[in-house]
Amino acid sequence: MRTDDARMQIHTPSSLSRSAPGLLLLALTASLPTDATAASQTFNTALPVAKGEFVFRQQLLYRKADDDPSALSRDLEVRGSISVLGFGATGDLALFGVVPFLDKSLDLTTSGGARVNRDTSGLGDIRLFGRYTAFRADAKGRTFRIAPFAGIELPTGDDDDADSLGPLPATLQLGSGSWDPFFGVVATWQTLQFQIDAQASYKVNTEANGFEFGDELRLDASLQYRLWPRELGAGVPGFLYGVLEGNFVHRAKNRIGGADDPDSGGEQLFISPGLQYVTKRWVAEAIVQLPVAQNLNGAALEDDVIIRTGFRVNF
Amino acid sequence: MANPTNGRTAESRPSRKRRLQPMRKLLPPILLALALTVATAAHAAGPTYRVHVAGLACPFCAYGIEKSLGAIDGVARVETHIEDGVVIVEMAEGKTLDRAEAAQAVEDAGFTLDGFEAPAGGSQ
Repeated sequence: MRTDDARMQIHTPSSLSRSAPGLLLLALTASLPTDATAASQTFNTALPVAKGEFVFRQQLLYRKADDDPSALSRDLEVRGSISVLGFGATGDLALFGVVPFLDKSLDLTTSGGARVNRDTSGLGDIRLFGRYTAFRADAKGRTFRIAPFAGIELPTGDDDDADSLGPLPATLQLGSGSWDPFFGVVATWQTLQFQIDAQASYKVNTEANGFEFGDELRLDASLQYRLWPRELGAGVPGFLYGVLEGNFVHRAKNRIGGADDPDSGGEQLFISPGLQYVTKRWVAEAIVQLPVAQNLNGAALEDDVIIRTGFRVNF
Repeated sequence: MANPTNGRTAESRPSRKRRLQPMRKLLPPILLALALTVATAAHAAGPTYRVHVAGLACPFCAYGIEKSLGAIDGVARVETHIEDGVVIVEMAEGKTLDRAEAAQAVEDAGFTLDGFEAPAGGSQ
């Protein structure tokens, strides 16, 4: 499943109290990478987690969004630590848990002209999901796999945090307060020289506290090309991959009290260059997600950049 | 001058050369015993198998197949050669590897057995 997120569209002056950047984080972290292989950094892959094997991934996240079309001049920064644990129940079935810790800070200008900061930090919404490799075509030095996955996002994050100005907007809260199922399918084509992953996923956001985030459709693709070593010898050398990923996200409008929020939802397209060093026991990786197209509704806040860096180990 | 740490005088302490002499005498037999142990262990190793694995295409995936094959009873050493798609499995003395066992281990790791080469006289 994808990991970034962007549920942060939103915030128009009128809806600021219920929509804002928070969600964005939530999704951001909660949907973080869950893969357990070389593979993409912003979403899951179909590659295997061996039966009885654990994979742990730790990712640090930084997200900045300050392109605000409204007079609020909002400036959102999100810092996150996302921990992912995967377990191979069988050679084809892998189970994952994604635990995000987030620190979200929103600066904005009030109607009186004062600049204020609203922030929160702590545990976000945990995601649990399973992935089953339904199709596998293996040959020497290459494989093609298709794996559907499904899971649920639990309301573990705080959804009623407040500061001196009152309750934080729903999108700035650490959690949504709702039980949100998601499902999708991921395909992976891997050779010794390169790997291509493609994924489609859909998340059904449900209502909590009179607020409902819009559903999310994601289409993701990733290319990893082995830069080094150019020639393979005996054994299992570490691989340095150059990475290029693309992420398209469509979000429906949020609903507040049963009515659409006109300043939420829309489409975003990210292009993301990165690097990945892969060994038998660990992976180190970093990627920068750059928005190349953003068609957001109303005064939704646009993203500037998302940076992810981290490592994975198996045991 | 007294040594503040142990109370002995420098004059009473044996010279470095004299202290090392017993160790030098012991070194050859120790090395000989070590060499014999290694040689014996090498000689005592069991049969070696070549397990061909289809679908193995990245280093991180290699760990899973090594862990799965290494969990088979009697396996002494596992070594992957990713370019060839081959995992070398060395058994302990007196142990053999069954093809069906190897196939199951490869399947559990999420890959496909593509071939199984046993040593002459070994298990097929």
